Amino acid sequence: MNQWIAIGMLGVVGVALPIGMMVASALIRPRVPEQGKTATYESGEVPTGTARIQFNIQYYMVALLFLVFDIETVLIFPWTVIYRSALAEGVSLSKALVPMLVFIGVLVVGLVWAWRNGAVSWVTSPRALRRKTERQQ
Amino acid sequence: MVGGVFLQQTTTANASATTGPTLLPETIAGVLGGNGILVDVVSGFIAAFIVANIMLVMTAVAGPWAKRKITAAFTDRIAVNRVGPFGLLIIVADAVRLLSKELVVPDDVDRPAWDLAPIVLPFSALLGFAVIPMGSGLQLADPETGLAFVFAVASIASIGLVMAGYASNNKYSLLGALRSIAQNIAYEIPLVITAASVVIFAGTLQMSEIVAAQTETFVSVAGVSIPQWYAFVNPFAFVLFLIANMAEIGRNPFDIPEAPTEIVAGYQTEYSSVYFVLFYLGEFIHIFLGGAIMATLFLGGPAGPVLPGFVWFVIKIWAFFLFTQWARSAVPRVRIDQLIEIGWKGMLVLSFANLVLTAIIVGVIA
Repeated sequence: MNQWIAIGMLGVVGVALPIGMMVASALIRPRVPEQGKTATYESGEVPTGTARIQFNIQYYMVALLFLVFDIETVLIFPWTVIYRSALAEGVSLSKALVPMLVFIGVLVVGLVWAWRNGAVSWVTSPRALRRKTERQQ
Repeated sequence: MVGGVFLQQTTTANASATTGPTLLPETIAGVLGGNGILVDVVSGFIAAFIVANIMLVMTAVAGPWAKRKITAAFTDRIAVNRVGPFGLLIIVADAVRLLSKELVVPDDVDRPAWDLAPIVLPFSALLGFAVIPMGSGLQLADPETGLAFVFAVASIASIGLVMAGYASNNKYSLLGALRSIAQNIAYEIPLVITAASVVIFAGTLQMSEIVAAQTETFVSVAGVSIPQWYAFVNPFAFVLFLIANMAEIGRNPFDIPEAPTEIVAGYQTEYSSVYFVLFYLGEFIHIFLGGAIMATLFLGGPAGPVLPGFVWFVIKIWAFFLFTQWARSAVPRVRIDQLIEIGWKGMLVLSFANLVLTAIIVGVIA
């Protein structure tokens, strides 16, 4: 039996279950449209403008770094799977371990570089920085 | 009986299926009899339905009842005790209450995405359970890439959160969604790298094999043999994984995507009625999925003395759930900038140190 059929079926159930609940709810819930009810929630104030604006998400560099490390984990996994059996078959440590250490070492150097350039810290906007210095004075 | 014979032939033909114990769809197919793709699909569906309902029942107990009771115990209160024995019927009352609420669709929501997000979240969490060995033959599938599959599927949830946050057209929701990405990208790597250090021991990504590798005796103390659970073999990795897991599923002290005291309810601010229930459901199944991954990788999966496997599995994932609730009551939330720094400067470095040290120690001993 192909196991992925069962996994696919769980996917089907995983979609059917929420939809079933939505349908059940749609059958029993009331619908009372009132003025002002559908306003966007902003702590009870009259909402100001849309949320779809351009602003600094603060972690652009971190996201780039994530891509690098995420691909790297893909490369580490096959090595971890065969590492122990390779050693058991008599592959020398210099052949099984050292290349991976070099690989991780290169990445760690990259991380250190990013760290020293402040890429992995929360970016403070110039305005917030100014406010902070004003407070300290 | 013909179906049974066919089943045995196919399982011997399929190399990956021979190694593990009998899977739930195979058992059901054996009961149904017959062969062919239709039986595969039907038995797969029944098995998936059973697994999904187990998780649904656990969530129903955990969400409206256990969470309240546990928090109440930590804060010296009584919580629900009026409806039914120990207030257990509050589960029924809450289900009816939440499903029969009016669904308020706010102005300017991005309609298809806003409706899809509550489906994506439970879907992602449920699909992860496809490869988890729950003991007593309750395992839906056992592909060779099980561990990678779990991490891949569990990460789909962040897409749901971003959809919810962006589609809501609410500033709190958008902030919650952005925070959830920041958190996920910061803790995904430590999580996966720490899991990789376990794979070094087990030498496989197949979930049943990882569980089987942990049944060997680690040490014998006064005649009692302690199994080789990786939480005992490498407690450092266990702690790292626990922390990264808490962040990945967004529980305290890393619940900043929701942060009720800062951004109302984060990505689910604008959701009401059944949509809110689905978010809640998805979150709880996600907690249990986190517990299930912890149990499989570090706590010997469904293994345990005396009691049947499934009972042990439930005990283990409920222990993780209890731990998340304990943290909820005991640990203050970290700030978003602290979260980034803990993730990238602390956890990432420690998880790499753990991986390298594990590889060196295994290499020197072996």
